[in-house]
Amino acid sequence: MAITNLNQFLTDYFSAKDCEIISNHDGVIQIQLNEQMDRELMNRPFYWHYIKKIGRTGDPMQLTLITNPQKRDEQGEWIHFGSPRLQQIMNHLKEKEKFTKLFQSMDVTEKTALHPWLVINFKISYQGQHKKDEIISIGLHLVNGMMKLDMMNLLTKFSLQTTISDYCFTLSPMIKIKSGYLRMEAVLSNYIEEQEHTWAKKSSELLEEEIQTLKHFYQGDEESEQMQKEQEALMKRYQPNIAMNVINGGIVYLQQDAL
Amino acid sequence: MDSIELQKDSAFINDLESVINKDGPFSGWELFSMAYQAELTTSSPSFNGLRALDYLPHVDFLDHQVEVAEQAIEMMHGRAILADEVGLGKTIEAGLILKEYMIRGLVKNALILVPASLVNQWVKELNEKFYIPAVAHRKNYSWKDNPIIISSLDTAKRSPNQEEIIDTEYDFILVDEAHKLKNHKTKNYQFVRSIKKRYCLLLTATPVQNRLIEIFNLITILRPGHLGNYDSFIEKYGKDRRKLEQDPYLKQLIQKVMIRNTRKATKLTESKRKIETLWIDFPETAREVYDDLVNTPIAFSTFSKITYLREICSSREACYMSLSKISERDNHAAVLKPLLTKIEELPHHVKAEKVVELIKSIGDEKVIVFTEYRATQYYLQWYLQQHGISSVPFRGGFKRGKKDWMKQLFKDHAQVLIATEAGGEGINLQFCSHLINYDLPWNPMRLEQRIGRIHRFGQEKDVHIYNLVIRNTIEEHILKLLYEKINLFEKVIGNLDDILAELNISSIESEMESIYNESTSAGEVRIKLNNLSSIIQGAKNDPMVETEERLYGNH
Repeated sequence: MAITNLNQFLTDYFSAKDCEIISNHDGVIQIQLNEQMDRELMNRPFYWHYIKKIGRTGDPMQLTLITNPQKRDEQGEWIHFGSPRLQQIMNHLKEKEKFTKLFQSMDVTEKTALHPWLVINFKISYQGQHKKDEIISIGLHLVNGMMKLDMMNLLTKFSLQTTISDYCFTLSPMIKIKSGYLRMEAVLSNYIEEQEHTWAKKSSELLEEEIQTLKHFYQGDEESEQMQKEQEALMKRYQPNIAMNVINGGIVYLQQDAL
Repeated sequence: MDSIELQKDSAFINDLESVINKDGPFSGWELFSMAYQAELTTSSPSFNGLRALDYLPHVDFLDHQVEVAEQAIEMMHGRAILADEVGLGKTIEAGLILKEYMIRGLVKNALILVPASLVNQWVKELNEKFYIPAVAHRKNYSWKDNPIIISSLDTAKRSPNQEEIIDTEYDFILVDEAHKLKNHKTKNYQFVRSIKKRYCLLLTATPVQNRLIEIFNLITILRPGHLGNYDSFIEKYGKDRRKLEQDPYLKQLIQKVMIRNTRKATKLTESKRKIETLWIDFPETAREVYDDLVNTPIAFSTFSKITYLREICSSREACYMSLSKISERDNHAAVLKPLLTKIEELPHHVKAEKVVELIKSIGDEKVIVFTEYRATQYYLQWYLQQHGISSVPFRGGFKRGKKDWMKQLFKDHAQVLIATEAGGEGINLQFCSHLINYDLPWNPMRLEQRIGRIHRFGQEKDVHIYNLVIRNTIEEHILKLLYEKINLFEKVIGNLDDILAELNISSIESEMESIYNESTSAGEVRIKLNNLSSIIQGAKNDPMVETEERLYGNH
């Protein structure tokens, strides 16, 4: 599910943010921002402050983004995976789109129950002398306790909306959200514990080696402040640790046996 | 697993619960799944490899630069001396390493210490090439407000900056021109050592191979104890560099923290140096003035006399200015008056005429002219303008902003840049491939710096260097006896420092000064200079010096 088509990603993003796509040809997208997006992306707080002060509505800017490298010399911003603009947009996404509550869209004429799923996307970072991430998306049926991996991918086959469809009603969870979450955490901890952490072993060995070297250098002066500093720096650089963070999550109501 | 700390996210679920209780605000499916996609896209699924390369599609990295970055991160764990030869792109290697750490979230704040003249260039390079939001330190900035700060070492170590820096925990420290840290007794050294840092890069083009102890000092900044402690090191290796050759183990240890590529090894030698010396004769009138100066009855110190001689070889103006100064000051007016009048009456300088001729023959291409004298710089600018050639001046004393501005003017509007010596450091002018040495510096390192402005990484053409030399003058001495003999123009003289250290010569300039001062005749000067150059020549052919690259090279 990583972004492969940047052009599509951007048009989806600005459409979802209610901005008009004026044109989109051959990897050049022209977007009319609205006030909210102008404030978020264009970094001109004084303009908006001034406009509001004199009681006018303001004039949001247009943005031209170029995803086709062949066109990068044209008027506009060349946007790619390292460009500040895309970083800015992705950071906004990660900061702001943290919580959700969604309903499967249903076209029914009789009463239909929707079942609650807790969906949490985790990022596990393994950090020793170097660092890597693993992303795991989990869904938990809050009535029968069924657990699914790769949940985000499974959800792509449904049409999901923020309001509930006519004739539909939601079942109340049997499992509290918090205990559901703790179940997920337990599963992940277990998963982490069962792995062979050769990287961590190697990192610990390196750390031990480096500390020995350091001690040798400061022979007879082990208490010195400089030595303490160096040792702390070594710990930070090599001490293996694993961090389990949540990217985002929420409740998704699906038809019975949907998954 | 027991030894691994596991951190859990305790905040998220509480936040989710409270949002659900308040019934919002919630994200729709599109944005919710886009945030997930963004995370998938920016995460690093493997310990190895450089993620940064995907983020920098607009930079064409050379193979050796990518290798250096990988080696520094994966083998040296982020503490390394990058000692590539001048012009192979150390800045780019360092930028790539920093970027990689930032992408992986391992570096959030960094302090980059570079020579004052290079601060703006670093800012520009990191911002434009690497999208690293680095800022130059300015007065009254807090060191803590900006995560990535670039500053000169001198500014950083001044109070209260020093205290603030020492108080901060840095994820990443970089020191450019790190050979300035080779002496452990200096303030610079102690300051850099005392900074709290996780990763650390030291950049130097002149590898500190003069004395083993200097290597020891640099490595101690990165990995104290890597070469043992001070006493045991001295005891074992003394201060003798030759030990390195005999001790493969020590060599190996050094290679664990130091990476050095050479032009030869990276096959980056395509751009060649083409040197041409243009011999010029003084016209009658100027010759007379020159001889008058040689034979003047005033007891100048020999060295100042040499200065006047060098000046008259450069321009009337340069010589006139210094002579009229002492004429007022030291009551030499009576003797100097006629001489000054003669100088005033001289026609245009024969070298200036030659420069115009040369620039016209080069055609439309950009040319840099280097002179040692400010007066000559003014004169040349005026003279070129008289001949319809546009030029901009450049001096080391210019403020940073003015330097950048002059460089831009040169690039976009003027054909010629006229730089004085001090302007030699700190600008990169790869877009230009012609350099005129209007007069020659006495310090070969300065000559290398001049050439290094244009003959560096990114130069696509062969570099043309023209030396203007007036026959039968002090200029001929310098060129013939020193430069030509030790072949300075052809070769990157990274080794010269070592050679001089080997011979116990602290500076070639003062060595030459004393030769001129202590000699009573031109003949004696010639013999002594001859000796000096043969000693240098001899040392250069010493197999020990030749093996430098073998010792440190990684190829």
